[in-house]
Amino acid sequence: MAGQAGNSAAPAGEALLRATNLTRHFRLGGMFSKRMLHAVDDFDLAIQEREIVALVGESGSGKSTVARLLARVYSPTRGEIYFRDRALKSLRSRKDMLWYRGEVAMVFQDPYGAFNPVFRVSHGVMRSLVLHRPELDRHQRREEAKRVFESVGLSTEMLKKFPHEMSGGERQRVGFAQALAVRPKLILADEPVSMLDVSIRAGVLNMMANLREQEGVSILYITHDIASARYVADRVVVMYAGHLVETGATEDVLQEPKHPYTQLLLSAVADPREKLASIAADSGEPPKVINPSEGCRFRWRCPYAIEKCADVTPRPEPLGSRLVACHVAVANPDRVTNSAGRTSMTKS
Amino acid sequence: MAEPLLEVSDLTVDYLADRATVRAVNHVSFSVQPGEFLGIVGESGCGKSTLLFAVAQLLSPPGEISGGKVTFRGSDMVRLAADALRHMRWRDYSVVMQSAMNALNPMKSIGAQFKDTLQAHGRSSAQEVRERSAEVLSLVGIDAAHLQSYPHQLSGGMRQRSMIAMALLFTPQLVIMDEPTSALDVVAQQSLMSKVKDLQQSLGFAVIFVTHDMSVVSRYSDRMIVMYAGQIAEAAGTDAIFERPLHPYSRGLMDAFPSIRGPRRRLGGIPGSPPNLARPPTGCRFHPRCPEVMATCPTTEPELYNVRGARVRCLLYAEEADHAG
Repeated sequence: MAGQAGNSAAPAGEALLRATNLTRHFRLGGMFSKRMLHAVDDFDLAIQEREIVALVGESGSGKSTVARLLARVYSPTRGEIYFRDRALKSLRSRKDMLWYRGEVAMVFQDPYGAFNPVFRVSHGVMRSLVLHRPELDRHQRREEAKRVFESVGLSTEMLKKFPHEMSGGERQRVGFAQALAVRPKLILADEPVSMLDVSIRAGVLNMMANLREQEGVSILYITHDIASARYVADRVVVMYAGHLVETGATEDVLQEPKHPYTQLLLSAVADPREKLASIAADSGEPPKVINPSEGCRFRWRCPYAIEKCADVTPRPEPLGSRLVACHVAVANPDRVTNSAGRTSMTKS
Repeated sequence: MAEPLLEVSDLTVDYLADRATVRAVNHVSFSVQPGEFLGIVGESGCGKSTLLFAVAQLLSPPGEISGGKVTFRGSDMVRLAADALRHMRWRDYSVVMQSAMNALNPMKSIGAQFKDTLQAHGRSSAQEVRERSAEVLSLVGIDAAHLQSYPHQLSGGMRQRSMIAMALLFTPQLVIMDEPTSALDVVAQQSLMSKVKDLQQSLGFAVIFVTHDMSVVSRYSDRMIVMYAGQIAEAAGTDAIFERPLHPYSRGLMDAFPSIRGPRRRLGGIPGSPPNLARPPTGCRFHPRCPEVMATCPTTEPELYNVRGARVRCLLYAEEADHAG
């Protein structure tokens, strides 16, 4: 099965969630239009129990589409998603869907738009409890709401507040509390900190790490900020224009990025102590992938592109303990070097 | 030192609410030299956007400047009539808004919006408009063909860059930017910042850049102001702040972002949240969140002390400032 590639970079053990050849296209224009936007193409992913995986890429790389596919907001054009070895395609009844939504919860990017302003923040938590854990009586539900609030670092007083009475960081914690109330095994967190102040982000990131320790959940952490991925994630998956470009253990990938795109992402992270000279002057963006032909989708921005890159789409291939989808890096790992990576990506 | 381009002295801004007056900017003074890049950093709610609005004379009720002066090229902007200000906007100074992605009119092409601005300030020949528009757009690295594009056809980064192009139509001496990068991802952020820095150096305008993310401006700004609860907490050269931040709040901000190199360490962030400015804490406004709080902090309000080449509002330096002065 094509899923082999996705699993070889993952630690041994049965995956909690596994996606193989995940593909989602969107038709642009009318019903008979032939213009297809390839948001995600042949994407493999495996998430183990109690694992935090970071999905990293720029705006437009397809990472939110992956989250929505996993949350069953969209259904895949092609490919399979297995949760605990059950194919998502086979879940049809309301009971099955309720089961899946109880196992996989989602936290959204915008803590200002995710709550109904006319209800107290306890409302969302209570509703999920009524829906997903009907065995609890009213008193138990209240106790459970207090428990999840405490586990995300909010005082139980906060349950009585309205969204407008809370700061962005507090609201994002409520988002996590709401997700936790259903006792999920996996939380899909789509850019949970990008709208928060820098000073508040650290607290939310620490909370995510604690949730894994205390509640035993796995987290798919979607972000464009590779530095924050390093802070919480065990493994990173780097996406570009709908393709997986590099994945492996966080420290391996970040200390020695092999794919030129990973190097570009790393060079964009502002390190205040570094001087101006080493900044990538790249002003490209991920292309809108409409009816693509063969070839690497990064080749227009890539300083190492060779002829083969325009003809053959690179597939993720093992390189040491990781997977890299790059002809140049796989054929000659030292050609695309990381230490030079920071300077070699600058426009010369 | 040369005559400053902009001098803000003792600026105070109040929001008049029904029950309480919220003092969002509290006796803030600073100056900007021609061609200088000044970063203003602070958390949401610290008054940094209000400060910018007050400087640019864009406050609308219930916000009101209740004291102080904003001297731009010798004239006090607070006292200028709306008409005089209108002539200065875009031409002498321009503002790039936080939501620049939404600040463009969705119904008009980029070129038409440039044309409006140019014509409002007397550049009306079609050829002049066309040439200047194409010129500024290519300055920010966008192909002039996009003058025909509508905002929805551009990516977030391109929209933001075309806002900056618009701000440069008349090559003003001062460009005020309110978090222009906060809606962008890391790569777009860096490319925008290096573009702004390039332009600033080649065209020689001054920049006031407001952000909550210290790491964004660190590589670009000459001087930095850290704001907390409507006041200046620390003001110094960027290098000085990064090498030895004096105020505990500046230290907290610096420890808040994860690093990609070096050992993985636990991030502190800053516990708690910024104070409600309708009821600011007594004494030092930072004391409820401060890791180095002393017995005197809750009762004594610190001044802005001049120590070690910086201005810092923290009682830790009160004695040192006494000895020096």
